[in-house]
Amino acid sequence: MSASRPFAPTLTRALEALQGESRHGFTFVRADGEERWFSFGELVGLGARRAAALRARGVAKGDRVALVVPEGEEFVLSFIGAVMAGAIPVPMYPAVSFRNLHVYHDTVTHIAGAAGAKLMVTTASSREFVAPAAPRIPSLTGLVTVDDLAGDHGSLIEHAQPGDTAFLQFTSGSTSRPKGVVVTHDNLRANTEAFVKEGLAVDIDVDKGVSWLPMFHDMGLIGFVIGPLFGSVDVVFLPTASFVRRPGVWLEALSRHKGTITYAPNFAFQLVAKRVKERDLAELDLSPLRATGSGAEPINAKTLRDFADKLAPAGFDRRSFLASYGMAEATLAISFVPRGAGLTADAVDPKALEQGKASPASAEGGREIVSCGRSFAGHEVAIVDERGARLGEREVGEIVVKGPSVCAGYYGEPELTAGAIRDGWLHTGDLGYVAGGEIYVCGRLKDLIIIRGRNFYPSDIEWAVGDLPGVRRGNVVAFSVDAGGEEQLVVCVEGTRADAQSIREAAAKVVNDDFALNVREVVVIPLGTLPRTSSGKPQRRKTKQMYVDGAFDGALEQAASPSAQEGATEGA
Amino acid sequence: MERNTRLELFKEIAAEVVERDFSKIEEATPISELGIDSLGMLEIVGEMERRLKIRLPDEALAGVETVQNLLDVVEKRQQMAN
Repeated sequence: MSASRPFAPTLTRALEALQGESRHGFTFVRADGEERWFSFGELVGLGARRAAALRARGVAKGDRVALVVPEGEEFVLSFIGAVMAGAIPVPMYPAVSFRNLHVYHDTVTHIAGAAGAKLMVTTASSREFVAPAAPRIPSLTGLVTVDDLAGDHGSLIEHAQPGDTAFLQFTSGSTSRPKGVVVTHDNLRANTEAFVKEGLAVDIDVDKGVSWLPMFHDMGLIGFVIGPLFGSVDVVFLPTASFVRRPGVWLEALSRHKGTITYAPNFAFQLVAKRVKERDLAELDLSPLRATGSGAEPINAKTLRDFADKLAPAGFDRRSFLASYGMAEATLAISFVPRGAGLTADAVDPKALEQGKASPASAEGGREIVSCGRSFAGHEVAIVDERGARLGEREVGEIVVKGPSVCAGYYGEPELTAGAIRDGWLHTGDLGYVAGGEIYVCGRLKDLIIIRGRNFYPSDIEWAVGDLPGVRRGNVVAFSVDAGGEEQLVVCVEGTRADAQSIREAAAKVVNDDFALNVREVVVIPLGTLPRTSSGKPQRRKTKQMYVDGAFDGALEQAASPSAQEGATEGA
Repeated sequence: MERNTRLELFKEIAAEVVERDFSKIEEATPISELGIDSLGMLEIVGEMERRLKIRLPDEALAGVETVQNLLDVVEKRQQMAN
């Protein structure tokens, strides 16, 4: 049966409609490999009990409930429980091994603080990692584990209106000023209907999703939890950490469960192509897979080809590649390529691209840009210049989006909201163009750095490095460069030759300590070398261009007297 | 398995995952000075799990700051597995 009937107007109505559903549901695979299946009817029943338990804890309609719950089934139950209690869940990422706990506590404090969370729900294993942050969140009245919510308080479904806030998606913004996207029930209905029915044309008797994506992130949460709840679609969930440790678990789950739909950001395809061994593929059958989605990160055509080549012996069909474009501010998905079309890339002239024209490359050496397809029915995409004027075919500008998936704004941030959504048009901050009605994304207007699926604001990194001895705030620029299909971080610092080596070491260390991020190169350049605006602010784009052009090579050595001691080598 | 062997295995896997030379690192080297991001570290952990046929759960990895800390966790898990 295709998911052809209209979707329910709210998530709470969609959940209510699932109460009697005993054939379809979610499978949760634990880290130890054990699997547990719940029918949607069971999940909704348990969710209603959790809703009543939250209500008994004093959670009222409209209260924000922070969720720090790494385990899949507990996350889903807590999320739908909060929604059924009329509360607004705020999914947050759990502490991850090898990352600095102090930085994690700060992030938890800032996000839960910005959301004005009343209650924080966690698990027994995560409690110790979030507990130190709790006293620093003024709005918080309690920190409970899912076990604390197990008692019998009856069942509850508090119905929402379509315009009510369903949850807050904290996804972008600097560490100190996180931005929570307000996602309404109607946003969820509109977007999930668009990608489940129009984008994927899901047939619930055949299709099954497989996801290891984190549930605190829009692609994992809306794409594989909320969309499938609206559409009653079977999904198998794997722990994110299991995939990163052993990428083969993703392929094994797809094969074992005859998965037909899966999604991942670009880095994950690269990880599979690199880490999965031919011998591990012998037993696998990936032929049922018909939608292998790539999104959330710039899509690299070569990475996807490497993935397809690697998996061809397991029956992987490269026509299943489904390039897509989206962002949290548009709920999730903005555009999809047609099903079964595979990868279509445009080769454009890089020189013309710098001038804002995406002219087809005449010969070899063109820059390959992947088509992200067309926008959904009821939605509109346009390309505009800095003044907001519409641009034509193959002219590069900011991508703007309009329609029922555009979210209500940033929670408690009217100014940021007014800057991002103007006359109903969401300004994405992404650069792109339209050719033949299809959307091509070619860069970012904002200086956001995206490395291996994680977003970083350059200012956060620049501030951390700016606090080091021998470095002044405002004399640091951070940006990412493309290195073999993968983005890598470069930090340019103004400093003296005498301090250069200690700055390089200290900068690499502080970035790793604070962000668990590896620096490709710390470039120390003479004072006064960074390009600046008239007000004295360093220019990130220009700095990056100078770095790429090699303008900083040897700058420090040339600035120092020729008789100075042996030159230090840049980078490494 | 000797302590030294575990360190050598770590160096070998790290070199494979990050494609860089790790022959000079010592047990006392802080993880943050290896120049490997947290995803890369999890890849290394996954490869150690695979080769040594053990599990290193997230809880056990909390508080790991140096290479030695990590190898201690590995040693403990190997003993538990025997």
